[in-house]
Amino acid sequence: MRQACLLVGVAFFFLAAVLPLRGLDWPVEKKIIIGTFAQDQDGHFFDGLDIGGGQQDVHAVLAGELVFRYDEDQDYSSLPRGLGSFVALHHEGKIETTSCNLKKGSLGPVRTAYAAGETLGASGDTGSSDGVHLHFSLYDEETASFVNPLSFLPPVADTQAPVIRRVLLSAGGTLIPLDNGAKVPAGQGQIIAEAYDLRQDVRFHWPLGLYGVRLEVDGKEVARIVFDSLQVSDGRLTLGGARLPLGSVYTGDGLVKCGGVDLRAGNSHLDLSVRNFAGNETTKEISFTVRE
Amino acid sequence: MKKRRPASIFFTSVLLIVLYFALFPYPLGKELVAKPVWAVSVVPAPSNSPAGGEPAPTAGPQGAFPFRLGDVFGYVEPDGTLLHVGHRLFQVALSRSGYINYARTGTDWIMRDPRGERVVSFSGDGYPLLSADGSRVLVVNSDLTGLAEVDRNGDPAWTRDFPAIMTSISIQRNFLLIGLLNGSLQLLNRSGALLYQGPPGPSRIPVIYGCAVTRDGSFIASVSGIGPQALTVLGQSGASYTVALRAGLSTDFRREVRMGFSPDSRYLFYEAGDAVGLVEPQGGRLSAVPLRGLFAGSAFLQDARIAAFAARDGQRVNISLVFPFLRTLGSESFPVGDMFLGSVDGQLLLGVGGRLLRVDVEAL
Repeated sequence: MRQACLLVGVAFFFLAAVLPLRGLDWPVEKKIIIGTFAQDQDGHFFDGLDIGGGQQDVHAVLAGELVFRYDEDQDYSSLPRGLGSFVALHHEGKIETTSCNLKKGSLGPVRTAYAAGETLGASGDTGSSDGVHLHFSLYDEETASFVNPLSFLPPVADTQAPVIRRVLLSAGGTLIPLDNGAKVPAGQGQIIAEAYDLRQDVRFHWPLGLYGVRLEVDGKEVARIVFDSLQVSDGRLTLGGARLPLGSVYTGDGLVKCGGVDLRAGNSHLDLSVRNFAGNETTKEISFTVRE
Repeated sequence: MKKRRPASIFFTSVLLIVLYFALFPYPLGKELVAKPVWAVSVVPAPSNSPAGGEPAPTAGPQGAFPFRLGDVFGYVEPDGTLLHVGHRLFQVALSRSGYINYARTGTDWIMRDPRGERVVSFSGDGYPLLSADGSRVLVVNSDLTGLAEVDRNGDPAWTRDFPAIMTSISIQRNFLLIGLLNGSLQLLNRSGALLYQGPPGPSRIPVIYGCAVTRDGSFIASVSGIGPQALTVLGQSGASYTVALRAGLSTDFRREVRMGFSPDSRYLFYEAGDAVGLVEPQGGRLSAVPLRGLFAGSAFLQDARIAAFAARDGQRVNISLVFPFLRTLGSESFPVGDMFLGSVDGQLLLGVGGRLLRVDVEAL
């Protein structure tokens, strides 16, 4: 686990150091985040950000060169494109940005070069879309990985802390609620949590993904997950430098697998911290007893 | 005294001339005869059937050929009997043995045979895609970074993620070639295992704009790159693929290009600006068929002896019929909106003006 943590740290440092993304600006005016990077999207990691806010102009976040575009119902395609109409730009430093689900016909005439801030099209609901939004992704050609745009875009004001709704221990094929005073069996298990961030701009429940998860047992860090990059390993999209496959991060029904534990008989204490992109953190401390 | 030439010299000369013409006849060029066989209207009848307005089936699916003309799709038999006509919902995945008519959003799909009968139902994230013969059912995930295949029961057979967005795909019964935005090609076998991966060639910005694989997997091809853009054909060499042909292109595409191999794998065609490029991978021959407009469709007729290419120029569609590497047999222009170009029983199936036409092409 220590090795995995080290790998995550190195990868994050590497990405932060090499990506020449200073000056990166938001692609839209209204920054309503409705879907976050590396969320579980029907069985695979989500590779970008979904931004709502109604129809609005979509701009180039950096100066770049057009490498690919597709306009729904206009351009030929050998495969069905759930991204709808989209524009992919190549930027200096081997970075690619892709702006997707754009309004049909809003892409304008084909041009090869775009200055930072120039309009690429308008957000729309082409492709596999439930409503007008922009799907935006950031790709590092050097490391062949999708990186979390929120790591590099200017911060958005967010004062709301993420939520840890419940914590469970998965052991021996059963899920045991882990609350203060709980008595659980000794042995190896997995800490699972219902944890998410929340949209601040709406009153209804709209869960978003987390940026970081840290698990400590009896004062010792046993797991850390950072939702910063995705890359393919053995034909599977994996998370971060530790290359965690989807099944190691999510249970498939909305719960997060926070890390493995080896519980010994006696009293134990668990600290689970979750963090969102604005740096807001929520920690849940649980004292429990491990039976023989 | 004057010596007389023997008569045998004269007869030998005549014989040689006759033999020359017999052995090396001058190609006079074949006359094209395009014979319209039937024409049918393809307006779907209103219906409450589940797949979007298809009439009741009237015959079996054997020998039916798929077509799509604008929002209308269906199957027609060689004698012009319409087996099925429907309106697409959002898109329709079409194949010889069945179709999936699907909505913009949703994760549950039904594959139906050409009569509209349910074949299999399955679920997934993204959109479905069928191979031309319908033997393979794939699901392309919604952010274009993953692919899954479902088996005949609708259960997942395999899934695979890709290190970048998919830009193009070519499906054969036993092979699957995927082009990626990062400039890499990935060739998968029937069970989704990687057979080959790599960039087809160097370029300033590597991107795959189109890809194609032959039915037997002996050749794979791509149009790729910016500065320069190039056509690359790779041939199977043992367990790997090596460059069989590489040609710089004068095009500067920033979108997917149409390309593919003829059903017999003899010819490769690719969109090349105001022309269709033709390649014979085995012999290394290249040629170009000029087009009047933007390349809009292709069909191979009579065991690929004749190729048909369509080009759109505003509201006009131009169809060219060619003997690959020999000559253009003829071309015709139609003032139409939606257009379909396909084949029925090895002959031309043309969809124009809300009608389907079978045109039998003979070169006399």
